[in-house]
Amino acid sequence: MSFLSQVVPGLGIAKGMALTLRRFFAPKATIKYPEQKPDVSVRFRGRLQLLWDENGLLKCETCFQCAQACPIECIDMGGLDTKGRFHVHWGPPETYGERREESAVRRSGRVVPDPAFEPFATFDLATVDQILAEHDHDPRHMLAILEGVQAAYGHLPVAALKRISETTGAWYAMLYGTASYYRHLRFEPPAAADQALAMADRRPSEDAYLAALGASLAGGSPSPRPPESRAPAKRRSDA
Amino acid sequence: MTALARTWDRLTLPGKALFVLIPVLAILSVGLVVTLVLFGPFLWDLVLANLDIVRFVVAATILLVIFIPIAFIVIYMEMKVIALMNLRIGPERVGPWGTLFSVVHGLKFLLKEDFIPNRADAIVFTWAPVVVFSTAALAALVLPFAPGLYGQDFNLALLYFFAVGGMTVVGLLMGGWASYNKYSLLGGLRSAAQIVSYEIPLTLSVVGLVILAGTMSLNQIVLQQGASGWFTDWFAFRQPLGLLIFFLAATAEANRTPFDMTEADQEIVAGFATEYSGMRFAFFFFAEYVNVFIISAITTVLFLGGWNAPFPVPHFQIDIDPGSLGLGLLFVVGLAPLIGTLLLAAPIYLLRSRTRWWVALIVGFVLFNVLAGGLVFLWAYVSFDWVAGLFWFVGKTFALIFLFVWMRGTLPRIRMDQLMGFAWKWLLPVSLLNLFVTATAVIVIDLMRGTAA
Repeated sequence: MSFLSQVVPGLGIAKGMALTLRRFFAPKATIKYPEQKPDVSVRFRGRLQLLWDENGLLKCETCFQCAQACPIECIDMGGLDTKGRFHVHWGPPETYGERREESAVRRSGRVVPDPAFEPFATFDLATVDQILAEHDHDPRHMLAILEGVQAAYGHLPVAALKRISETTGAWYAMLYGTASYYRHLRFEPPAAADQALAMADRRPSEDAYLAALGASLAGGSPSPRPPESRAPAKRRSDA
Repeated sequence: MTALARTWDRLTLPGKALFVLIPVLAILSVGLVVTLVLFGPFLWDLVLANLDIVRFVVAATILLVIFIPIAFIVIYMEMKVIALMNLRIGPERVGPWGTLFSVVHGLKFLLKEDFIPNRADAIVFTWAPVVVFSTAALAALVLPFAPGLYGQDFNLALLYFFAVGGMTVVGLLMGGWASYNKYSLLGGLRSAAQIVSYEIPLTLSVVGLVILAGTMSLNQIVLQQGASGWFTDWFAFRQPLGLLIFFLAATAEANRTPFDMTEADQEIVAGFATEYSGMRFAFFFFAEYVNVFIISAITTVLFLGGWNAPFPVPHFQIDIDPGSLGLGLLFVVGLAPLIGTLLLAAPIYLLRSRTRWWVALIVGFVLFNVLAGGLVFLWAYVSFDWVAGLFWFVGKTFALIFLFVWMRGTLPRIRMDQLMGFAWKWLLPVSLLNLFVTATAVIVIDLMRGTAA
């Protein structure tokens, strides 16, 4: 093909024109945002990815906004300090807010307020401790513990999740993953949870997908079984 | 006085407009009627005595007026087609499918401040867009749109077309030089170099065609291409190389991608138009889009058969005399829309129970209009030569415009030295070769027929 395009003049142009003509009739990629929402998971927060510029340098400016916003504190970062020394990571996550301000001053010369950052309200952890004691601080009973906490508070407060993580030794990230896997567990009070459910209802493909997945895991029969095929998958991680 | 002012204040905006317009219109129409009654025969004699001048003025006026919708359509095509090729949707919010977006563009340019930069040559600066636009308008005067639909038909029309079309460069140079800006000057000089270089192959590529046709009158050239009624008579099939050279050179003449060095915005901001704003800037690009139409039209006229249909359309006559219907005509005009709408709405309403009655009525009305419009167009196509001719002419021209836009959506801009090298090293020799081959072929064929003197 490359030989042909060298011999026949204008073949490359013709191929390019054919490509644009195919694109002309192809379905369009535009999402008309306010009327039309992209079909992504409720938990989706974008891809975690570091980008390089054309000189091969990292584009990250260690502004700590991502680390501070991360709900499960899985983002941490190292970088050069003001004296040019490299640090693998910059201390405990509790101080991300302060260091975000530092980096904002470093970059822009002024403090950039972050409306998303609010210190957590003081929280009565006695109920959480009682539930944990009932389950012997055993991370294998995590679902029961989480359900108990939700029954007591109406939802899963961040402070309670941190307490569970500390006392059972389970990673906060694992806890968050378990809690966000189940539809009946929620991180916000019910009003917000209703919104999340309403968003989930806009994704009709998920139930069909889960049903087909359950069916294929159970017996490999192509006919989709009714939604109770999802139930075994739920109980398996329960035990 | 205060009562009058209060009454005036209570009127809404349309009310105020109507309040002023109605008496003005009444006075004007009365004046028109009085003038016609008093001087009607005299005026008619005047028109008949100067028919050529009247015809010319009418043609120029019509051309200037239809340039506006043509430019709007071309601009809309450019936005929409390139967007679709980029997998975007493009304009779609203003008007149906975004068709009124060009109008909004025009309004935006009208509202912008129109300034002249410091130390610019104000007179030349002001006249540059006028020159650019008037060359486009003058070139369009000789285009045969349909049988009997042309501004002026004379035996040097092709030469005139190229002479006037080449004057665009004067306007661009004026704009570039008068702006007192190095980017403007660069753009102007680039356009001068480019258009002067491409003028040569553009003109040479047509000489072969002129040898074959034996005339420079565009009307005669079109008539020759319709001799047998089939598309094989088009000059595109007798001068394929000429068509290729002409198309490439015309792309450069119209400053279209991949030859749009004149306003290469990544390199020289906006070229000659850098210092222009408001209506003057709009006029430059108005002229450019009109030029795209004119270039497509001249390609159609010279090589693609002009207003000739590509195949012989069976000719039949529909004899409808609306006067013979008498009172029935009133019923047809008055009741046909109503009955047609109801008839077309009924199946839509009955077939799907979810359809609301008013939705069905609207759909039925639209369908009726499409149907009636199609019927009227069919009747006009059969009855009038110029409607049929205009249909094919406009269809071919807009197909070519689509090709221009398609090229803009595909090809990257070439470099300045490549641009000049392409014109002088490739297009010029090839157009000379085309001319040589055509002339030789004509002589040889004449000799074989024994008609050569």
